[in-house]
Parts: sequence; C-alpha cells; structure tokens
Amino acid sequence: MSAMIKQPTNSGTGDRAIANEVQEAVGEKKPMTIYRVITNEYFLYCVSTVTFLLVWQVIGQSDMFKGALASPVQVVLRFDRMLTDTLAGLTLWGHIWASTSRVLIGFALASAFAIPIGLFMALNPYVDAIIKPVFDIFKPMPPIAWVSIAILWFGIGEPSKIFIIVIGTFVPCLLNAYTGIRLIEPELYDVVKVLGGNRRDEIIQVSFPASFPAIFAGLQISLSNAWTCVLAAELVASRSGLGFIIVQGMKMSDTSLVIGGMVIIAIVAWTTSLLVIILEKLVCPWKRKLEGF
Amino acid sequence: MKSADYASSQYICLERDNMNTPKIVCQNISKIFIQKGTQRVHVLQDISLEVRDNEFLVILGPGQCGKSTLLRIIAGLETPSEGTVLLDGQTVTKPGPDRGLVFQSYMLFAWRTVMGNVEMGPKLNGVPKAERRKIAQHYINLVGLQKFENHYPHQLSGGMKQRVGIARAYANGPQVMLLDEPFGQLDAQTRIFMEQETERIWQTEKRTVLFVTNNIDEAIFLADRIVSLEGKLPGRMASVYDIDLPRPREHTDMKFLHLRQMITDASTLTL
Amino acid sequence: MAYESVKVEKPLSLILLPILSVFTFFSAWELIVDTGIVPSTMLAAPSAVIKLFLIKLTDPNPDGAILAAHAWTSGKEAFIGYLLSLAFGLPLGLLMGWFTVVRGLARPIFELIRPIPPIAWIPLTIFWFGIGIEGKVFIIWLGGVVPCVINAFVGVRMTNPTLIQMARTYGASDWQIFVQLCIPSALPMVFGALQIALVCCWVNLVGAELLAADQGLGYLISMGRRLALPDMVVLGMVCVGFVGAVIGYAIERLECRLLAGIRR
Ligand SMILES: Nc1ncnc2c1ncn2[C@@H]1O[C@H](COP(=O)(O)OP(=O)(O)O)[C@@H](O)[C@H]1O
Ligand SMILES: [Mg+2]
Repeated sequence: MSAMIKQPTNSGTGDRAIANEVQEAVGEKKPMTIYRVITNEYFLYCVSTVTFLLVWQVIGQSDMFKGALASPVQVVLRFDRMLTDTLAGLTLWGHIWASTSRVLIGFALASAFAIPIGLFMALNPYVDAIIKPVFDIFKPMPPIAWVSIAILWFGIGEPSKIFIIVIGTFVPCLLNAYTGIRLIEPELYDVVKVLGGNRRDEIIQVSFPASFPAIFAGLQISLSNAWTCVLAAELVASRSGLGFIIVQGMKMSDTSLVIGGMVIIAIVAWTTSLLVIILEKLVCPWKRKLEGF
Repeated sequence: MKSADYASSQYICLERDNMNTPKIVCQNISKIFIQKGTQRVHVLQDISLEVRDNEFLVILGPGQCGKSTLLRIIAGLETPSEGTVLLDGQTVTKPGPDRGLVFQSYMLFAWRTVMGNVEMGPKLNGVPKAERRKIAQHYINLVGLQKFENHYPHQLSGGMKQRVGIARAYANGPQVMLLDEPFGQLDAQTRIFMEQETERIWQTEKRTVLFVTNNIDEAIFLADRIVSLEGKLPGRMASVYDIDLPRPREHTDMKFLHLRQMITDASTLTL
Repeated sequence: MAYESVKVEKPLSLILLPILSVFTFFSAWELIVDTGIVPSTMLAAPSAVIKLFLIKLTDPNPDGAILAAHAWTSGKEAFIGYLLSLAFGLPLGLLMGWFTVVRGLARPIFELIRPIPPIAWIPLTIFWFGIGIEGKVFIIWLGGVVPCVINAFVGVRMTNPTLIQMARTYGASDWQIFVQLCIPSALPMVFGALQIALVCCWVNLVGAELLAADQGLGYLISMGRRLALPDMVVLGMVCVGFVGAVIGYAIERLECRLLAGIRR
C-alpha cells in the first residue's frame, strides 16, 4: 500500500536517482501519557461502543419508551432462543439464508447483464444512442417503487422478490460500468496505438482493466440497494427472511425481535460487502488505497 | 531484444549507402483543431523539418505552442490539416511500432507491473512470452530499474515512472523515439540526472530521437540540433541551431553558456 | 488569428436513433397492452396512465386525495427530512474529520447504524411515532444523513496537509484551522453531499410511505397495488421518477454554477 521500495544494492546506474526518490515513513516512538491514551482513536472507539450499549441498556430497562425499546440483553436472549426455536417453520439461520440467497441470486443476475450492457454502451456510440434514452427514463425510479409492480406481475412468491432485487441492482451496475469506461484518459488508448495495437487490443488492455475499480464501486452500491430491496419486498409480503422477522416482531409488539432483526441485517449486509471488497483486492491488486471513510 | 536489434542494425547498414536521405521529413505541416464543436484553433503553421538518421533533434518551445501536437502528428496519432510526414520516404498515416512515444504524463498502465508495462509492445505484436520477457528485462536493466519489475506504477516515484515509459517505448524496437517533455514533471536534480541517463541510453542504443522540451538547458545538453518554435499560436518554426559541443557536455562549459545566452535572447524576441 | 468559429454536425443517425428508440419503447408498451398480450390487470398502457393523470388532477377517489395533495405531502416529508439530515450530518462529518475525540466517539456508532437499510427502521418508527409524519421524516433523515457525514468527513480529511502545517507555524489554534482552512477546503465535497443526500432522501420516500401512510406518492403506489389498479401504480412511479429527475437536473446545474464561482 505505502511506497515500500527496497534500495537496489548494485544496480550500477540507477543508484543515486533512485535513492533520492525513495521516501520512507519512519515511525516515531512517543512516551505514553494519560493525555495520549485518552485521545487515542482506538481507545475512544471502545469508550464510545461501551457507553452506547450501557445507555441503551439503561433506557431499555427504564420505561422511558414505554416498552418500545428492548435492551441489548433482551435482544441477545431473544435471539439465543431464535437459534433453536422456529418462526414460521424456520430457525434464525433459515431466515438469514432466505434473505441472503435472494440477494445473491438477484445480484448475480443483474450484474451478469448490467455490466456487459454498460460496457457495450460505453464502447459503441450506436448502442449508446439506442439504449441510453430508454435507460434514462428508468434511472430516477427508486427501486422500492418497483415493489408494487413486482407483486402485481409475479404475485408474492420468490420470482417477485428476485425481480425487485434485479431492478434495484441493475441501475448502479450499468451506470458505473458505463462511466468507468467513459472516464478513461484517452491518451491511454494512444499508448496502445503507438505500440502497434488495434481497437481490440485497446479494449482488452485498457478499457476493461481501467474500468474495474468503477465497476466494483458500482457493485458495492448495488449490494446495498439489493439489501434495501429484499427488505422492502419482505416487509410487504413474505413468509421468510429477515424482513419477515422484523414484521413479525412489529405484529407481536416484540421490540427485541425487531431490533435483533435489524442488528442481524446490519451484520449480514456488512459481511456481504466485505466479500465484495475482498474480491476487489483479488481482481485489482494494483489499486491504491484512497482517502475514504 | 534480438529481433529489435537485428532490425535496427540492418537498417543502419542500408542507411550507410545513402546517407543523404533523411529519416523523417515534415513537409509544410499545419494543424487546425476544432474545440467544443465550434471553435477552430490554428495550432501549427507551415512546419518543415528533416531529421537525419540517429540524430538527436530537440524541439524547443514554451508551453501551449503546439509541440505535443507536432509530435503526435509524427507519431501518427493526429492527421495534419495540411502537409505530410514522411518516414523513410513513406507517408505516415497511422501509428506504428516503428515509432515509440514517451508521454509527458507517463501514461503507464496502472494495472500492470513494471514488467507488464515494458513487455506490452512486444506482447501486442505477438512476440512469444519467453522472448518478450527477455526483451523487457534487457530494457528494464538499461534504464536501471532492475529489482523493480514487480512493482506497480503507484509504488514508483516520478523519475522511475518515466524510466518505465522510456523502457516501454524502447522495448518495442522502434527506429525513431519520440519524447514529449518526458522530464517536465520531475524536480530539478532528478531532471538533470535523467538527462544524463537519456544521453547514456541513447549512446548505448542509438536511435533517431525527437525530443520535445521547454527547457533551454536540457535542449543544449542533449541535442545534435535544436529546432525552436515561436511562442504563440499558431506555432511556427523560429530558428534552427546546430549544437556541435563534444559529449558528454558540461552545463558550466563556456561554450555551453554562450549558446544558452544566444538561444535565450532569440527566444525572448519571439515571445 | 488562431481562434475562429465553425459549426460541426453530429452524424444524423446518432441524432435520430435516440428519438426512434424512445418512440419504439412507448409504442411497444402501448401495443402489448392494447392487443392484450399483457393483460390490463397487470400493466397499464401509457394512454391509460395519462388518462388517470388527468382524472387524478381533480378527483380524490379512490385513494382519498388529488395528485397535487399526494405530491405536496411527499415533498414536505422529503424536504424536512433533507434539511434535518443536512443540519445534523454536515456538522457531524466536519467535526469528525478534524477532531480526533469526535471521530473516536461518533465513528463506531455511525458504523453500527450505517449498514442497516433505512426501511428496516419502519417497524421501530411505528412503535415510536405512530403513523404520523415524524416516522417518515425519521426514515428519510436516516437515508440522507449517511452521505452527508461521509462527504463532509472526507472533504475535511482531504485538506492539504501543507496548508495545515503552514497555519500551525503562524500559530493558528486547532479551532481556527478547522474553521478557516478545513471547512472551506471541504466545500466541494459538501456540495456533493447536498446533491447525493437529496437524491437519497427522495429515493427513501417511497420506502418511508411503504407501510404506514395515508397520503403521498409512495402511498399512491401502494394503494394502486392493494386495489389492483396498475395504472395508479405506474402513475405513482412516473411521478416519483419525474420529480427525482427534475431535482437531479436542477442540482447539477446549481452545482456547476456554485463550483464555477468557487474556483474563480
Ligand atoms: N485534441 C485537441 N483538440 C483541440 N485542441 C487541441 C487538441 N490538442 C491540442 N489542442 C490545442 O492545441 C494547443 C497546443 O497544444 P499542445 O500541442 O499540447 O502544446 P504544447 O505541447 O506545446 O504545450 C493548445 O492550446 C490546445 O488547446
Ligand atoms: Mg505538451
């Protein structure tokens, strides 16, 4: 990640310049003082997390929210029971898998179509001229707005949920593949031309690899859209999944079930996005880590 | 590496027989760009020059006077609005592996290692893997980047990036090297060092070189001949200087300083 | 003179193709419904949607309000949620970017809440706020606050470190550096946040009105589904999409203007 450059020992020619150009970060050792511990970011992380949980626990036990907020302990106990008990015929694992499999299927379907179409549009002005205007009509439509149409078309079964996810995932995938190619420095194509490559070489050697980071950014957005969509679909009509758990909790006025469901959603969504990050590291080992959140 | 050397050495033998045909001829080149779909910009006007075989020709001019455009026309990346470019008597219409271009802003493939970048030319021209590895390794060593083969461009400093750019152009075995302000983004020290390196590399692997710069010192240090362009659009040829100082040159040599004074005076006149 | 004006034409086919493509799209849509390939209980033809649009301009039946009332309700919710997310998210993000203590304390909680899709909060908001406007504003606020915090944070973190060191050598205090250096240099990212957050808020609107609502464009869509009226569903979607597109376009223009002004 950082510029870890070893100095060549006996290269004969490049020694001086290369040595001049290397920058090495040297870590300084400072003495531990109370002030430095208190202002240490990781220490503060722990403080903040513990305080958050404690405050939540205290509020949850008091009747400030009149029972509308379960305390962390209640949530954990409730979900300990969920691991073995069943809700609508499925244990907690079953519900997690129900949602995750929907997300994965819809996500895979959408990216398998959207990315090639986006690449194709960016590379061919005629394809662009045909597809772009129609795509622009659908682009500003919020994914959740499709829930109703999906239920009218496919009923409340699996196909309608997959459909919603595909729709919600499609737009960012296509858009990022498209802009990823559009934003490539045109001089990079000149490099290939000068080296004797043809249009095909330009696409394979420059367009595809240079658009990978943008495509992965699109996949991240798509994935979070996919979770929103699957929840929307499950909230409206379903017999399984994490959204179903939350709705059940709402119907039974069981806030520990609702909050626990939300926590599980956060964990699972976070895990899937971590998988995309790992995949990106594997596919694009050359990508520099940028200042981000 | 074999094939590249073979091509150029054979070429030199042919050239001995008719020393007077120049390598590159630019005949009355003009270039007009159309910007934002509505505005015509006249960038180059009536450029005529000849480059001899194995000559180190420097094109000198301030920023925005059309130097890059001229080089891109010779590389075949732009077509001139008027006039023609001849390479060995053949009209240039498109880019080809006989001309190697080094870009001002490096233009390395961020997704390929140093080795991957340098072997790109042979790869595109269908050289088998083992052989192109050997060619690439030769030029990586030549520019002094051995042990950095597996680094990605973002792990390299500016000077090292430009070495990769130079090695990449060389590895394709071009007869003509075109360098577009290759050291424009480097600090002064690295720049001087890279100029010495360029001269060393040129002495080892003789090629016809067209080198674009805005730096008078750099021009005098490297050039057999300097063509200076006028400082405003459209770019026209201002004057030509033959530099016959012995190599390697010294920046503090009296003759060097004298030349420098002369060219500086002349170019401030045209600004 | 080096510069002069000319006119260059795009190839005619590239001008005609988009028009042709949109035209084909709408006629195909009209045709598959009119000829009964797709039953009209599942999809409404464009003509039916336009007809319903004209009716809904004045007729509150069967969903209880005229179109303008739905749009007004949704607009109000989205706008309040948007303003609140700016008012909360931008300062928080800016402070998190500069002050280690704020970052250390706020970040874990933010990271806990961020991966939860805003619509997952619907059941809780119903417990807490009932089905009034507060719950919907809360959901919309959740959607808008995340991009605000992230952009403001990244904007501050991208402040040129050399400038910060320079300010320190002149003896500027932490607070002075924050106000006079970090905030101005984060402005372009903050403008980005204004745009992204508004789009997020508008997208979340449909989610917020998904379960508990009695008016609004999202409610119109849900109602269309419950009454099995595809023309109403499509009308709602078109309205949401159209307003979203107009907002996006307006902000893009505004941003161009503002940023051009800043760069001068
Ligand atoms: N592809 C192009 N389209 C339109 N204008 C161009 C193009 N390339 C260069 N120009 C214009 O030509 C002028 C000279 O550019 P350039 O050749 O890059 O100058 P230099 O390399 O000497 O700095 C600039 O004003 C630039 O705007
Ligand atoms: Mg230039």
